[in-house]
Amino acid sequence: MKVRGAKAERLADEELMPRIGEKDPDAFEVFYDRHGGVAYSLAYRIVGERGAAEDVVQEAFISIWRSGARYDRARGSVRSWMLGIVRNRAIDALRSKAGRAPKLDFDDDAVLEHRPSGELTDAEALRRETAHELRGALGDLPGEQSKVIELAYFGGFSHSEIAAMLEVPLGTVKGRMRLGLEKIRGELAGGLA
Amino acid sequence: MNETDHDRRRDDIAAYLLGALEPGEAAELERHIAGCAECEEELQRLRPAVRVLPETVEPVEAPPALRARLMEQVRSEAAGSQAAPAARRSPRWGLGPRPLAGLAAMALVLVAIGGYAISNGGSGGSGTTTVFTGRSPGVTAEMVREGETGTLRLANLHQLPSDKVLQAWVQRGKQVVSAKALFVPNPDGTATATIDDMQGVNTVMVTAEPRGGSAQPTSAPIVSVSIPQ
Repeated sequence: MKVRGAKAERLADEELMPRIGEKDPDAFEVFYDRHGGVAYSLAYRIVGERGAAEDVVQEAFISIWRSGARYDRARGSVRSWMLGIVRNRAIDALRSKAGRAPKLDFDDDAVLEHRPSGELTDAEALRRETAHELRGALGDLPGEQSKVIELAYFGGFSHSEIAAMLEVPLGTVKGRMRLGLEKIRGELAGGLA
Repeated sequence: MNETDHDRRRDDIAAYLLGALEPGEAAELERHIAGCAECEEELQRLRPAVRVLPETVEPVEAPPALRARLMEQVRSEAAGSQAAPAARRSPRWGLGPRPLAGLAAMALVLVAIGGYAISNGGSGGSGTTTVFTGRSPGVTAEMVREGETGTLRLANLHQLPSDKVLQAWVQRGKQVVSAKALFVPNPDGTATATIDDMQGVNTVMVTAEPRGGSAQPTSAPIVSVSIPQ
């Protein structure tokens, strides 16, 4: 068992996934140790309660354990794929708790992370080196832009819900979303230069 | 498509990437993007900005008990447990169809399941497989012993409150110690716990405990399986 575990630690995420698909618990353990922290942080950021965040992470990781073979490299990095699953489940839990109709189903491959991107590898490399800067990326945006992005991504609100909440036109909400993402994208490009 | 249309599409793409479009709008946009290289390029250009959003979250340390529960479940399923069908889990926020009150009521009932060997003579010696089965009100238990290792399989369990886990205990003589097995029921009410050291064990018990487990049982056993010596 220890030999398998030690070997798994040397594997890249993309190489771990087939092992997880073959029900190798050592591969899964390495996978959790690498990404469980950010998964829990994201879940906690969305649902706001430790117990609920644990439920979200447990459900998300068990779903990955049971369907690891479904990961497709063409979908992007394993980490982004996993975080998409966590985010979807956390938003669904949040909406269920709030009595809002679930907007996202439990199709873990749906929404946000289902198209390939060659730029992701660079973004992943950037992650480890500039995690602190990234945490400021959202905070550095003008408040009206960061607000709509946070409400959508971390709150699970649709653009029409946000428009009603902020009492601004739909087009304004979507425009602020785009401007905010443009600025974050610009910061990423600068960081990669 | 004129420039104004594409401006609108660019805004839609941002909302789409953030998961903020309604399902019908998202499907319509996907159909458009499939045939529009310009919008596809815009989608790929903006996508990294969304992918970093989870990384902007302030780090919060995950509880060690979460890792322990996950690995317990994963290792149980990997060991070929029949306790884990591939069915999707239902959200636990509603705590499923089984009422919480049922757990509390059940925990008050101490049920000693009379263990009996159904194979290999029940000697429990090294290399033998001994199975003890029984049924307490509402809960089915099966204890499989292979050498010094035991596997406890439970069925018909009620779902737990989110602040509770199941903890396995072993009794040797009058001493009760944790079997270092924390677990939660699967959505279908089954659960599996591995007991690493069955040496000298005369009873295996399961209690509901706070997250992270307890040093000593804090509630009456949900199930108690006697192991003949």
